[in-house]
Amino acid sequence: MIENARSLNIAASLILLIGMLYILGPLYLTLATASQSYEFLLRNGLAWYPGDQFLNNAVRIFTETRIPIQMLNSLAVAFSLAIATCILSFLSAYAIVYFRIRWAGVAFALILATIMLPVDIRVITTYQVASNVFSPVNALLDVSGLNGLIAQVFGAPVQLELSVLNTHFGLIAPLAAHGTGTFLFRQFFRTLPGDLFKAARMDGAGPVRFMFDILLPLSRTSFAALFVLTFLSGWTQYLWPLVASSTPDMQTAVVGLARLLPDSDGEVPDFPMIMAGAVIVSLVPLLMIALLQRYLVQGLVLSEK
Amino acid sequence: MNAIDTAIRAAAASITVKGLTKAYDPQTVVIPPMDVELKAGEFTVVLGPSGCGKSTLLQMIAGLERVSGGKILIGTREVQDLEPKHRGCAMVFQNYALYPHMTVFENMAYSLKVAGMAKAERAERVAAVAKMLGLADYLHRKPGQLSGGQRQRVAIGRAIVREPGVLLFDEPLSNLDAQLRHDMRVELADLHRRIGATTVFVTHDQVEAMTLADRILILNKGRIEQFDTPKAIYHHPASVFVAKFIGAPPMNILPVTGDGSALRLADGQVVAHAPLTGAFQLGIRPEDIVVDGKADGHAVKAALRFREDLGSHSVLAADLGGSIVRIATPFGADIADRLELLLNFPTSRLHLFDAATGRAIPGAQ
Repeated sequence: MIENARSLNIAASLILLIGMLYILGPLYLTLATASQSYEFLLRNGLAWYPGDQFLNNAVRIFTETRIPIQMLNSLAVAFSLAIATCILSFLSAYAIVYFRIRWAGVAFALILATIMLPVDIRVITTYQVASNVFSPVNALLDVSGLNGLIAQVFGAPVQLELSVLNTHFGLIAPLAAHGTGTFLFRQFFRTLPGDLFKAARMDGAGPVRFMFDILLPLSRTSFAALFVLTFLSGWTQYLWPLVASSTPDMQTAVVGLARLLPDSDGEVPDFPMIMAGAVIVSLVPLLMIALLQRYLVQGLVLSEK
Repeated sequence: MNAIDTAIRAAAASITVKGLTKAYDPQTVVIPPMDVELKAGEFTVVLGPSGCGKSTLLQMIAGLERVSGGKILIGTREVQDLEPKHRGCAMVFQNYALYPHMTVFENMAYSLKVAGMAKAERAERVAAVAKMLGLADYLHRKPGQLSGGQRQRVAIGRAIVREPGVLLFDEPLSNLDAQLRHDMRVELADLHRRIGATTVFVTHDQVEAMTLADRILILNKGRIEQFDTPKAIYHHPASVFVAKFIGAPPMNILPVTGDGSALRLADGQVVAHAPLTGAFQLGIRPEDIVVDGKADGHAVKAALRFREDLGSHSVLAADLGGSIVRIATPFGADIADRLELLLNFPTSRLHLFDAATGRAIPGAQ
């Protein structure tokens, strides 16, 4: 249906304008404040017009804060997370779609359930496991009574302990267990001709060759799309890095930005520098989108070309 | 003559199926024990309605589907437990199943590459096959840039480039439009004449079966109804199922009763003299029924219901003793506005089937 009413057009444009104002307003405020000096802030509050201090503030981010090393952390986390998610999702979707597995449906449902249980919901239990990855094993030994038996024979029960808190692995692993990618690949595989797998078998290619020669090249755009999405979500993660890392050198840039606020009351935060930090930290994901935007769209519409 | 022609002709192997069964669980038996032998170099069409197990049979020969019991021999080799690549079969799929990201050349060369053939030899083989199939100009295109018929040819090329002993087709023409299907049928027949590979062709289209096959294997619920030449199947159907499945329009089947001297229709009219008693099913092809004319059978009265004029001939539908009979007569026959027809069933053209089992009664024609 095409509406031509003039009043409706004006109303719609107005709503759009207000929406844009809400999004662009804070962005502008960030940029403007980032280019003013601390003194300006103390005198006038947040800046409504740009100044000439951005470079100065940016240099201070690099010299006076831990943001640079934290950005490296973010980069490591986001990259590893994206790669791990891509590989895991691809393999699990391959297994679910192309092999006759007895419990494939249940497995897929469980994988999908992770979409409904993000880290934000299970943060306490995830923290417990991360602080000792063997805690489920210990609990199992206790509950099953095996530990009692072991205590009788060897004199002491088994208590394994390994903490992954404050490690890159600990930052990445709980985030990588996410079903979106599996779902994406599964949907993509199902758009491919069903006899492809059989044709490859007739040509003498086993499951591994089929995966490398046929499925991987066809999945290029899906890979790119999933990579960008996971990279962005890894870069902007806040809650999990906040609880899983306690030393400034292990924290990610987004957590680091929040930590730039002074701990004591009464002190006015150095907002120009913090805003400059926010701008710098946002540059990386922005660059990522700019470079891979084409694949992002292609991969999400599930075309096979 | 290409080298590839002779190579495939030499490799052509017979297929022997002994007590082959397929069941997904005890309740769902797709194929009960089956015995059949397909000769080397023969073009066999496996024909049947959907769900009759014809694709399952093909996939078991190919090695894509596990057998539940019995043996499959290709040549003298037992293959039922071998991987597809060790069976010497190649297959053409219904939706072509070409690799979309590879060029025509790469598609055809893939199996040779997997088998570890040297690059130069690979190129030579593919070139020979491409030339034979008229694909030489398209080798650098991707499947997405080809027409349906060309894709089909690439799929066939991919299959024969390996010089297989057995060539399997799984409803390869069902995705094409009518004209192209006809052209491909002719091309396939020509190809088989040239390369002489043992061919198993699965279809539900009786025209494909009649025109392509050396012998047709008709399956019904996994059982072999008849395995014979197209001519024999058309003229001597072994069962009511075959009689109804082959021919367009299909054979008329009428319930008749034998009183010891004659066969009578449900309304009592006599269609033929025969010393038979009991219930039977009488079959006659639409084109064998004579309207008005004199023939060596009894004339019966039927009421005309409707007619379809097809140009070359007309198909009449008439009510005969409660069942509809279809009659094919030359176009323009003088029956324009009559409601009553006098039909004559030539005795030599009658087929008699057992009422209970549906099997043909031998020697009763």
